Amino acid sequence: MDAEALQAAIDMMNVINMEVYYWWCIALMVIIHAGFLAYEMGASRMKNALASGVKNILAFAFLIPTFYLFGWWIYLAFPNGFVPVAAPDGLPWAAAMGPNLADNATGIFLGAFTLFAATTASIMSGAVIERIRVSGFIILAILLGAVVWILGASWGWHPEGWLTTELGFHDFGAAGCVHTVAGFFALGVLINLGPRIGRFNADGSHNPIPGHSVPMTIIGLMLIIVGFFGFLGGCAIYLGSDQWVNIFGQPMTLSSIAFNTLMGFGGGIIGAFLVTRDPFWMMSGALAGIISAASGLDLYYPPLAFLIGFIGGCIIYPANALIEKLRIDDAVGAFAVHGVAGVWSMVALGIFAAGYPQINADWPAINLGGMLVSAAVMMALGFIPGYVVSAILKAVGLLRVGGKAEIMGLDAAELPIRPYPEAGTPSAHRHQPAE
Amino acid sequence: MDSAPIDSWEGAEVIFTFADNPFAIGLFLVLMVAVIVGVIGASAKHENESFRKAEKGE
Repeated sequence: MDAEALQAAIDMMNVINMEVYYWWCIALMVIIHAGFLAYEMGASRMKNALASGVKNILAFAFLIPTFYLFGWWIYLAFPNGFVPVAAPDGLPWAAAMGPNLADNATGIFLGAFTLFAATTASIMSGAVIERIRVSGFIILAILLGAVVWILGASWGWHPEGWLTTELGFHDFGAAGCVHTVAGFFALGVLINLGPRIGRFNADGSHNPIPGHSVPMTIIGLMLIIVGFFGFLGGCAIYLGSDQWVNIFGQPMTLSSIAFNTLMGFGGGIIGAFLVTRDPFWMMSGALAGIISAASGLDLYYPPLAFLIGFIGGCIIYPANALIEKLRIDDAVGAFAVHGVAGVWSMVALGIFAAGYPQINADWPAINLGGMLVSAAVMMALGFIPGYVVSAILKAVGLLRVGGKAEIMGLDAAELPIRPYPEAGTPSAHRHQPAE
Repeated sequence: MDSAPIDSWEGAEVIFTFADNPFAIGLFLVLMVAVIVGVIGASAKHENESFRKAEKGE
């Protein structure tokens, strides 16, 4: 074998290694959805257990074709804001958008991004369980997963997104475009959707509505954590012949992500344990800890990632209590865990990682002001479409199930099977209307 | 607060935050240890109170 043939073989091996790496990231990310499925079904009362699962499964299923149709194109076309640039390779009839022996990358990256998209829909999915209509939910899931978050990714999770080129934005683990956008989108939907029947009393007090299986919920949360390693691995770019880079093109190592993901995980659990002693919130704290450190997983000194994760674990329960006072019923604390911890992640990066240069010396270095403005952009990008479109769905009667169906339980009202057919009829009257 | 130990990615090796600031590194280490010890202490206190209440039947 001559030198040229040897080089060609090495190059091909690098390409195949890249494909293999992202293939397994995708597989691990599917575990996120197994986790969300268990989490939501466990957090639902027995009378709604399967309906919550159906909703989650459908979000995943509908995002696969819709992200193919327009999500990938949006990512490639909008790094400058709202005015698209030419992105013919993202159109669904492009040569790259199907089996092509000259393109090993598009399918595998599109697959990974589709799984990120499905994660955003799952974040919203948990918040709205037990009273949202499936049709309205699917419309919202497509809007969030195939349009809104990916527009945020094009702006702030892209090698040349305008938040980075103009403001110095940095966000290794997508705390902004995935978690903040999805958390604030869910908040906008929750305002129009309203609380579950019996959740709040006329005097302003509230009634907890425990799910039917706390162990299932906790195991689901742990599965989400397992899947996060695929998610965060998918945030790194494999170059084969050179050092890893992040999505902004800055060199990094997977070792950095191992150090700091684990530190955020531990800090988040410990913070939530200190505040609540509640295993549901401890595992939510694990998520919040990783999300809190996500923006700087490639940069942080590990004890700093631990402390940032610890603060994230401490703040989610009070944040959820605050929206409860506003009579907003977030069934799983999704806004607090993803929205609030996502914002904290970006703010923390501005405080603790200012000064790092971008890959292009003409772009601003990481700075607190740029991170604060970018965080506000991500919050608005999530909240406004979530609020406006859910208001439209509410106006046309597609947002919420009827009161009788809600009291009866959505499984009995909509589905042909029951979750535990030998366990008797779930109590339909446990939470009678309080308002 | 400029925490970056590098001005350029060219030839960079140690890139973690505050790598060139021993005081900050020491501070974060001490704070991490304080959180670990403090939460264990708070947990022990909480357990003592919980068990005392359980034994009194409260």
